[in-house]
Amino acid sequence: MRVALFIPCFIDQLFPNVGIAMVTVLRRLQVDVYYPPEQTCCGQPAFNTGYCDEARTLAERYCDIFADADAIVSPSGSCTAMVRSFYPELLGKATQTTARTYEFAEFLVKKLGVTDVGATFRQRVTYHDSCHALRELRLKDEPRQLLLNVRGLDLVEMDQAETCCGFGGTFSVKFPMISYAMDEVKVTSIQKTGAQYVVSTDSSCLMQIDGHLRRQNLPIKTISLAEVLAST
Amino acid sequence: MTTATLRQFTRDATVKTADLRHRAVIQKNIASYDAAVARGMTRFADWQNARSHAAAIKWETINHLDHYLEQFERNVLTNGGHVFWAETAADAREHVLLLARRHGVHKVVKSKSMTTEEIHLNEALEAADIHTIETDLGEYICQIRGEPPYHIVTPVMHLTKSDIARTFQEKLGAPLTDSAEELAMIARANLRREFMTADMGITGANFAIADTGMIALTENEGNARLSFSLPPVHVAVVGIEKLIPRFEDLALFWPLLSTSGTGQAITVYNSLIGGPRQAREVDGPREFYVILLDNGRTRLLADPEQRDALHCIRCGACLNACPVYKNIGGHAYGTTYQGPIGSVITPHLRDAREWSHLPYASSLCGACTDVCPVRIDLHHHLLHNRRNAVQSRFDNPVQRILFHAWFWAMQSSTRYAIAGKLGNLALRLGIAQPLLRPWTAKREFPMPPRHSFRDYWRQHGHRA
Amino acid sequence: MDIARDNILQRVRAALRVEAHRPPAPTGTPIFPPIADPEARFREEFAALKGDIIENAEKLRVFLNGFSKIATDGSELTSKTVGEPNAGVRECDLGVTSCDCLVAQTGSVVVSTLSAGGRALSVLPPTHLVIARREQIVPDLATAMTLLRKRYDRHWPSTLSVITGSSRTADIEKILVMGAHGPKRLALYFAD
Repeated sequence: MRVALFIPCFIDQLFPNVGIAMVTVLRRLQVDVYYPPEQTCCGQPAFNTGYCDEARTLAERYCDIFADADAIVSPSGSCTAMVRSFYPELLGKATQTTARTYEFAEFLVKKLGVTDVGATFRQRVTYHDSCHALRELRLKDEPRQLLLNVRGLDLVEMDQAETCCGFGGTFSVKFPMISYAMDEVKVTSIQKTGAQYVVSTDSSCLMQIDGHLRRQNLPIKTISLAEVLAST
Repeated sequence: MTTATLRQFTRDATVKTADLRHRAVIQKNIASYDAAVARGMTRFADWQNARSHAAAIKWETINHLDHYLEQFERNVLTNGGHVFWAETAADAREHVLLLARRHGVHKVVKSKSMTTEEIHLNEALEAADIHTIETDLGEYICQIRGEPPYHIVTPVMHLTKSDIARTFQEKLGAPLTDSAEELAMIARANLRREFMTADMGITGANFAIADTGMIALTENEGNARLSFSLPPVHVAVVGIEKLIPRFEDLALFWPLLSTSGTGQAITVYNSLIGGPRQAREVDGPREFYVILLDNGRTRLLADPEQRDALHCIRCGACLNACPVYKNIGGHAYGTTYQGPIGSVITPHLRDAREWSHLPYASSLCGACTDVCPVRIDLHHHLLHNRRNAVQSRFDNPVQRILFHAWFWAMQSSTRYAIAGKLGNLALRLGIAQPLLRPWTAKREFPMPPRHSFRDYWRQHGHRA
Repeated sequence: MDIARDNILQRVRAALRVEAHRPPAPTGTPIFPPIADPEARFREEFAALKGDIIENAEKLRVFLNGFSKIATDGSELTSKTVGEPNAGVRECDLGVTSCDCLVAQTGSVVVSTLSAGGRALSVLPPTHLVIARREQIVPDLATAMTLLRKRYDRHWPSTLSVITGSSRTADIEKILVMGAHGPKRLALYFAD
């Protein structure tokens, strides 16, 4: 099985370590991965803002670029949801390419049947459910199963695990006061767990949370699920 | 496009999100609702399947609405009631005023109805010198404070006991108390007098039952029952989407509405009214009128993509689930219907340009869609409304230009990579961050590493 | 000739020319769990709603002694059980009615203008006493609706109410207050 890496634009530019960590884990599991260099962005920012013609062009572009892959894996629930849930609506049909696109944790657990990737991470962590992973892809247990098998990791659930972090792409810029109130709720819930790290499938959520934590000088760090799973 | 309503929304949302006390009050209220609903759902064999049943019944009704409207009308007439049709809010108000004049009405008691809020009926009645009294406790408090309902089910969710005690002291001259019971009893005593002397009772309808020509009213207090029992005339203002086909459907819809609305297995009073007092009956109004209201609903009906928004049974669950609602509250929306359902339907029911900002005031988290008891695809409809706004060119021209530039870059991996390098440099030099305000106003933007993933892949990717 | 009616129906018909996407079909499994012992369930639900079941004739006498002005629906069952009324519905401190049926699933009492002496008697008095027979207990709402349909189809009373506990409100801080507008107290006596 040849597995294509779909590295969303903001991960490519801002958080390349998340993509590298995913590659590390997949190679540890003997998965043959490759990176189609023509890829750019899935089109979600345009789609979510209402620019559907532009998003459609990028969706068609994605389907061309990844047409030959047996599976496509991405370290982002959000961009995976864009491809799997929203491309069919944009393109008028589901294609093999959209159906074969997986979020990383989902790919490990559901496609490879792996819940222990041999990682070690000696920290107390809490898990943030990204809205797209949770409600578009219905990933609730998969990331937790992976975390529970990480050596030394202490998973503490927060009371607002399923509550949106407030990012929402352009929403956080158009309505910053609402977005900020939402990350305040999230951060308060995180703080109550006493965790040292917040983990999530989605680096966009983590960017929002981390931006808040750092501005408030709070001693909690964010880390992607891929990076936790790559730790030994 | 910056409209007056957007400016108002931004101002109100800014004030409300900065008001930590306000946020704490509604979040505490919603937390107790959440606990009750979680218990309530356990009374169903399979909540998800119950939702599917309800969605199927509403789909059947809404997609054959002409048939069910005519059947309902026929049955109301057979029962001795009257039916008026109102194309607009003004038409509906006119019908009510006409009836009030015909029956020499000086005083109206009203039970909670969002549809009458939608058509601003109270203002019209008061302007015609007809004393109009809201009788649901929450609505009564709203009325004496001069505020619209804050929530479609819980009108004073934003107020504490002491807020209400101060209102009663100020407006009714009642002694200050910190007992919710005493406050409720003050209202009960005042309103009991009004019920006894009212000339007309006005209600909405939670459901309109086609095959029996009845309207159904769901409540806990008994004020709706008093409103349709004591005054000599009963008028029900009913949105045309309220239809359900069969009497028996209520065995599902009553528990469903109660569970999603308050967490109760069923509310205290669920009543059906099928006409005026009959010869064999001892009391009841001598006239029963139903006003069937369109007011933009057929526009929503004409959009097959969002037609399921007319399945809404106004339970308020999507408001309670919405992290935006939980932080800005109900008044900031500036609409009759707040929260996700309001942001879906308001651009259709009212002016699409004027209300085009509401679908954008969402992080699209989808919590609303998950809780909707009739499976309305709420958060996807917010996306549809955004697309419609862009297609109608209601979007901000600067935003449009930025997206076109972004789109140009994203169609080529070379242009994308160059844009990435420029952005990376701008961030490293610290000149991009100010452009990213307002995000960076209260948050630290991450410093990008020197190399992107694609750089890494070019150098190290082909190992193994 | 009603122009508004014609316009609305015309718009509805025009709108419905394109069918909307159908939601996923429900499965045929029951919506509510089965009820093994309807009477036990009814008692449990009714008590949880703070309703009082008056268990015997002696207790009924004591209960009735607490009220001086009693209005009733004048039905055979209530007259036999509590006697004749001595007050009208607007002045009484107790309203006594029969009912159409009792619903175990929710602990509800179903009344109509025909079974409960009109519209006001079961909502206006400060206390409402229902006189019923055990055989009137049905397992669930669906059965109750079927029974009502059978009893009244084409000759419906002008109103029906499903009463589930006594009047209450939680509008203020979600604090439960009994007797918002309707009866503060709901009591039930089985006459068989």
